[in-house]
Amino acid sequence: MSQLPFDPLLVSIAAPLALALAIALGLPKRWSVLLAYGAFAIPVLMALHVWWHFTATPLPSHGYAFLTRYDTGLSGLGISLHLGLNGIALPLFVLAALVGLAAGLYAIQSGAERLKIYLMLLLIMQGGLMGVFASVDIFFFYFFHELALIPTFIMVGIWGGRDRSYAAMKLTIYLTLGAMVSLLGLIMLYVQSGAHTFDLIALRAHLAAHPLAATLQNNIAGLLLFGLGVLVSLWPLHTWAPLGYGAAPSSAAMLHAGVLKKFGLYGLIQVALPLLPDGLAHWAHPLAWLAVIGNVLIVGVITIAQRDLKQMIGYSSVMHMGYAFLGIAAGGIIGPGGVVLLMVAHGLSVALLFLLATAIYHRTQTFAMDEMGGLAQKTPVLAAFFVAATLASIGLPGFANFWGELAIFVALWKFSPLITALAVAGVVLSAIYGLRSAARVFFGPSTDALAKVTAAHPPVDLSWKERFPALILLAALLFIGFWPKSLTTPVNAALTARAPAAATK
Amino acid sequence: MTMLSHAIFVLILPLVSAAIIALFLRRAGGIAAAVSTLTATAIAGISVLLALRNERFTESFEWMRFGDFAISLGFKFDDLAALMLVIVGIVGLCVHVFSLGYMHDDAAKARYFGGLSIFMFSMLGIVFADNLFMMFIFWELVGFSSYVLINHWHEKQSASDASKKAFIANRVGDFGFLLGIVMCYWLNGTVNLTELAAKGEAHTLVFSTLIPLFLFCGAVGKSAQLPLHVWLPDAMEGPTPVSALIHAATMVAAGIYMLCRINVLMVPDALTVIMWTGTATALYAALCAITQSDIKKVLAYSTLSQLGYMVAAFGLGSLSDTHQHDGVPHTIIIAAGVGAAMFHLTTHAFFKALMFLGSGSVIHGCHHEQDIFKMGGLRMRMPLTFWTFTIGVAAIIGFPYLAGFFSKDAILYLAYAKNTPVFALLALTAVLTSLYMVRLWKLTFLGEPRSDHASHAHEGGLTLTLPLVLLAVLSLVAGYTAFYPKVFSGVFDLIPVAHDTDHTIIFITSLGVMIVGASTGYTFWKSTPTDTLADKLPGLFSALSALRASFDGAYDYYVAKIQQRFALFVNFFEQIFLAGLIVRGLAGFVGLFGLGARALHVGNLNAYVYWFLLGIVMLWLFATGVVTL
Repeated sequence: MSQLPFDPLLVSIAAPLALALAIALGLPKRWSVLLAYGAFAIPVLMALHVWWHFTATPLPSHGYAFLTRYDTGLSGLGISLHLGLNGIALPLFVLAALVGLAAGLYAIQSGAERLKIYLMLLLIMQGGLMGVFASVDIFFFYFFHELALIPTFIMVGIWGGRDRSYAAMKLTIYLTLGAMVSLLGLIMLYVQSGAHTFDLIALRAHLAAHPLAATLQNNIAGLLLFGLGVLVSLWPLHTWAPLGYGAAPSSAAMLHAGVLKKFGLYGLIQVALPLLPDGLAHWAHPLAWLAVIGNVLIVGVITIAQRDLKQMIGYSSVMHMGYAFLGIAAGGIIGPGGVVLLMVAHGLSVALLFLLATAIYHRTQTFAMDEMGGLAQKTPVLAAFFVAATLASIGLPGFANFWGELAIFVALWKFSPLITALAVAGVVLSAIYGLRSAARVFFGPSTDALAKVTAAHPPVDLSWKERFPALILLAALLFIGFWPKSLTTPVNAALTARAPAAATK
Repeated sequence: MTMLSHAIFVLILPLVSAAIIALFLRRAGGIAAAVSTLTATAIAGISVLLALRNERFTESFEWMRFGDFAISLGFKFDDLAALMLVIVGIVGLCVHVFSLGYMHDDAAKARYFGGLSIFMFSMLGIVFADNLFMMFIFWELVGFSSYVLINHWHEKQSASDASKKAFIANRVGDFGFLLGIVMCYWLNGTVNLTELAAKGEAHTLVFSTLIPLFLFCGAVGKSAQLPLHVWLPDAMEGPTPVSALIHAATMVAAGIYMLCRINVLMVPDALTVIMWTGTATALYAALCAITQSDIKKVLAYSTLSQLGYMVAAFGLGSLSDTHQHDGVPHTIIIAAGVGAAMFHLTTHAFFKALMFLGSGSVIHGCHHEQDIFKMGGLRMRMPLTFWTFTIGVAAIIGFPYLAGFFSKDAILYLAYAKNTPVFALLALTAVLTSLYMVRLWKLTFLGEPRSDHASHAHEGGLTLTLPLVLLAVLSLVAGYTAFYPKVFSGVFDLIPVAHDTDHTIIFITSLGVMIVGASTGYTFWKSTPTDTLADKLPGLFSALSALRASFDGAYDYYVAKIQQRFALFVNFFEQIFLAGLIVRGLAGFVGLFGLGARALHVGNLNAYVYWFLLGIVMLWLFATGVVTL
């Protein structure tokens, strides 16, 4: 199916990691920056290639394409570097590549202090992210997540903004806790399945024949929901997110909020839903209520109260994760399908918002929205991008996010009309905070505080170096928004193929 | 080309225009205006062609699918869609041409015309939509275009606020609309309009009062019915041609169009709610219009009132008609509500667009003066605007044999036949309509100029006057449905027509209310710089003003005193309780693992690497069976 003489998945993981290694070994700065363009671009080329070829050929019954296996000396434990993509992994693989390129380009033009190290950490993150979604083996799925997570902590701690050490600590406590609890769940799954393999395809086949006992399913699903829930900021374990993103440097925030955070949801859909269908169904109602009351409504209201632009984006992201949990709770095909779409859409839009927030900061020298206003007169292109990103994130049709939210709402009605009504009410909340922030930053007359800043540093509109990464993200949002089939076809195929397992609930 | 490909072309064309403008013509306002106007010309031409070629079709293409749930991009082109398409095409063209003159010197002309193009795209999507999901998608998109265009002069705080308010009020309505669609999908298994109609005929449709009421929420938002009407008067912050196109003729009428589309889902209880909402809006807005001094605000409240008329007409529902056929009485039920509402929508689109563009011409002539008490005497200075505006006023107050006369009579007759209190209230509304319209007309055009701007007013160029003439002609003739080509018969055959004594009663009523309202308005208000009503009857004036302000006051209070305070309280609670207590708790929890939380303060690379290694080692231990669960 792939005409390439090499494995595109391995290359997209290895390219950023190899450059990171070279930088660590003392590659000069000029070469590091130059090669970084390539290292961030290669995964995108590979991702577009596999996307293009994915639907072209019929898939085997397990639904995976581009399968390759590399022995890592751990095969005795049922572990091997088994790479491949199914219809659920493919959209996220593409997402990781696109956001990675945007974050990389933005980092290169940012001229951050100690740029070399910054790029090195970002490249490690990027390699890890490509690995998370390309892994068929649960061990490597988890390993790559950790690989991408650790640079996040370091980047927040070193290049972070206000409160960076507190934010880094909080981030580490929460995310490590979440990762450890989910690891516990995964290991339980490995041990209890009795299949002696971490390979997802083999595990699924084994568990389809010998499903786990109900209590066991419930316990493992509970562990995974708690652990992965922390990683995806399920209320009330979400407080690390706005704080962490508020402090994180923009490229790290883009990659974490945009892609890495999706690890938890991806794990639930790719691992927990097919392997533990009854276990997840057992927790569906509490999960849905937590998500709708906590993430959607309470956090939605909190988002309205935010005065700091970056915190506002962070909270809004927590709110949208609520919709993702609702889709998982709703189950079936429509719910998880909507979640995959929303994951991709949210990843693109939140990365775009973090990028633009930093661009705004460079012009206003503040994230406090009270001290902005009227910026659109000086920077119309930046304003247009920000309004577009905001409208995308609040689910305007034409952008990818809409399809995800819509599918989730449709699925949710079958699950519980009451929860649906509450969840749809969140749409009004997001319109309030989204449009309010756009208005406070860009429209109306400018505030005195801003006038002082702009008098000293006349703001210039978005430069091409900033515009290009933003354009990548915006174009992807619009492309999926206008042509959702490009993603829903593989997702639907993957979910339909395993529907009997999911439908037993 | 087949008719379907024409339809697809018409839908895609404005999107392409908008994309070209956004990508390449940001700094080339003149070219952008030309591209957008040419697009509008093509749309108008093909629309008329599509409607006249008596070919109706439905076709749909799958847009996305999860399991059995699929959303399609479809075209349902029946007489109803054809009529709406022609309205949108013609008014759209007039507004584009008018904008060429009106927005000639605007700094952000490209953004303006790009916005118009994206609006045309969104509106045409609503017209063609063959299923409710698609309608919802374009429904939100017209909301977006409206947001962009109201906010055109975004450096004004008032414009920024108004655009935000419009979008949020519409979202509140769309909340219900979306729930209604989803509910309909699960109850009936489809939201395709043709399939729903077929189910209705086969008596397999599942009814629920909730579905039409939820869907009606969408119309309440978009067509600015009570209690979500507050955004429309504020939307006048947008450029005047935008008000004509979006906030008078087409987008705000989409709510009525949508109701007509889902007529099959209606149940009596829902219709009653719809009828009373429309009646209340019609009367309330007419009362508000009386005290307005801004020429556009008068027209805005008038639009609200007329939209209320249409919604009330729809809510009045169907009429049974008994015919003698070969000596045997035959009773048929016709969807008279649909006919009357769409008929009034049609005539209103023309005469209200005419008056809005006329007010634009006035504002342009008076150097952006909008206060009618600073106008006066424009009859001599702007004769063409005066005469066309006069036709518009005559049409809206129901002057015999003009467009509004026929459509308003159809609604009054339907009300007369179905519900007497509604009939009385709508007749009262008609009195008020004549009253405030004649007041507006007199203060603006008659008497002596009351400001320098008015005394130096001048007629605009051809781009400003040509659209006025075209719309004036349509306002004269649009009521003669018999002369319309048969192509809209699917709609116009449904218009209720009074016979014999009923006809006389309705004719006398409508003539009477018009004369009473118009003569009172004409004799009572004097051409003075202050409002005669405020001078002579200050109590009534302030009562009406207070009535107008009541909704905005309540909402402002809610937003500032309740919503914002609640948000701050919840935020505070989160900071103190969750962030404070639970994070401590978690730190303690982690401490149980023997990894003292203090180590985390170290913040150096080593600590993080140890964490990572620990994870790996744990995995290894478990995996190799050294430790078992």
